[in-house]
Amino acid sequence: MPVLRLPKFGKPVKYAYITGRVRAMKTKLVPNEMYPRMLSMDISEIARYLEETQYKDEIDALSKDYSGAELIEHATFANLAKTYSKLLDVSIDEPQFLILEYLRRWDIWNIKTILRGKFYGASDAEVMNYIVPAGELNLELLEGLAKKASIQEVISSFEGTDFSEALSKYDGKGLASVENALDKLYYYRMERAVGGTLSVGGGLLLKYVRREIDIRNLITLFRMNKAGIDAATIQENLIPGGKLGDELSRLAGQSFPEFLRSLEGYPFWSSISDIATPNLDAVSRVEARLRAYLVRYAWALSNYHPLSILPVLGYIVSKDTEVANIRKIVRGKEAGLPPELVEEQVVVA
Amino acid sequence: MVVGAINDGGILYGLLAVGAGLATGLAGIGAGVGEQGIGAAVVGVVAEEPGFLGKGLFLMLLPETLIIFGLAVSLILMFAWTPFA
Repeated sequence: MPVLRLPKFGKPVKYAYITGRVRAMKTKLVPNEMYPRMLSMDISEIARYLEETQYKDEIDALSKDYSGAELIEHATFANLAKTYSKLLDVSIDEPQFLILEYLRRWDIWNIKTILRGKFYGASDAEVMNYIVPAGELNLELLEGLAKKASIQEVISSFEGTDFSEALSKYDGKGLASVENALDKLYYYRMERAVGGTLSVGGGLLLKYVRREIDIRNLITLFRMNKAGIDAATIQENLIPGGKLGDELSRLAGQSFPEFLRSLEGYPFWSSISDIATPNLDAVSRVEARLRAYLVRYAWALSNYHPLSILPVLGYIVSKDTEVANIRKIVRGKEAGLPPELVEEQVVVA
Repeated sequence: MVVGAINDGGILYGLLAVGAGLATGLAGIGAGVGEQGIGAAVVGVVAEEPGFLGKGLFLMLLPETLIIFGLAVSLILMFAWTPFA
């Protein structure tokens, strides 16, 4: 993979255009106070509301083929891909390189989606519904992969690429190990590509990403410690490279109350302290709070470095969260879940 | 010849002219350096929010005031302070 050698001292002025632009784009995001209101709307009302926002073009274009929750789901994904492509189109040089490195997570998402689709025997059209071509792998290539007859064929088409080693973990029984290997690969590749450079912008990207790895590991720890899984298995599933890597790794396998006590004193503890109790019923509530913490962290960091990649990252994370929230609300409504239950899952930063 | 030039103020006048040029020129460069980031950011915002153009232009022109200081110093040097005025 080509590694761009960036100069040691990144010029902040390179970021002026893109940060100005994303800050303007941020004002168009769905405001936090809309989520409780969306919970009391029905699906067609939500679609009408989204038609008045940045999702208008997608809702208009897709309303011929889809309706209800399907329409909103497709429109949000299409808008997400369009927004991220736009970020890449309007940036140049160092910001573009760093944004692309971060957006490679959608390549991982798309590969995982195709593997899952093939594993459960979904049609290629069904698989393509959940594809977000926002990374390096383009739509044409992904369509070709979705049309492959089996998982083995998908895996063999990646031979000779960075993905092949992670995909070789597929054992035919389940996808957990290969998905975990793909996640690790994403962070490893980013560390190699960005960490190899000495740029200030790359350093700031890694600073955020290390915290993101910690939060992902923490969510894994919450889930697995709660389920009483042994330390070795949990440690296998943790992603290396986080700032608190070793500290979190030591918490694997602890009893749940002991694990919660160990977390006190960490910066994220205040975000979850009121719900993280030994009799916690659903880990997803903690997950929503931790994701909200991550969004706040990205924006807080960007206040210290206003002319850097961080406001762009903050925007990307906020946009991801927005789309995830809308989808949660719409899917929750479709499944007839009580609004209080859905509200707990909505990430409000 | 040099002594003659100093005596009738030729070199001094020349140095004053150079100083006046530097005052405006350096102020212009400084304003340009300040404006490059603001200009880029304003163009970025206006691309998303065309209504921001007026405010954006105002912010972009703020460093321009520095040139006025430079220009004032130049004018003083050339026309008010010189021993030849």
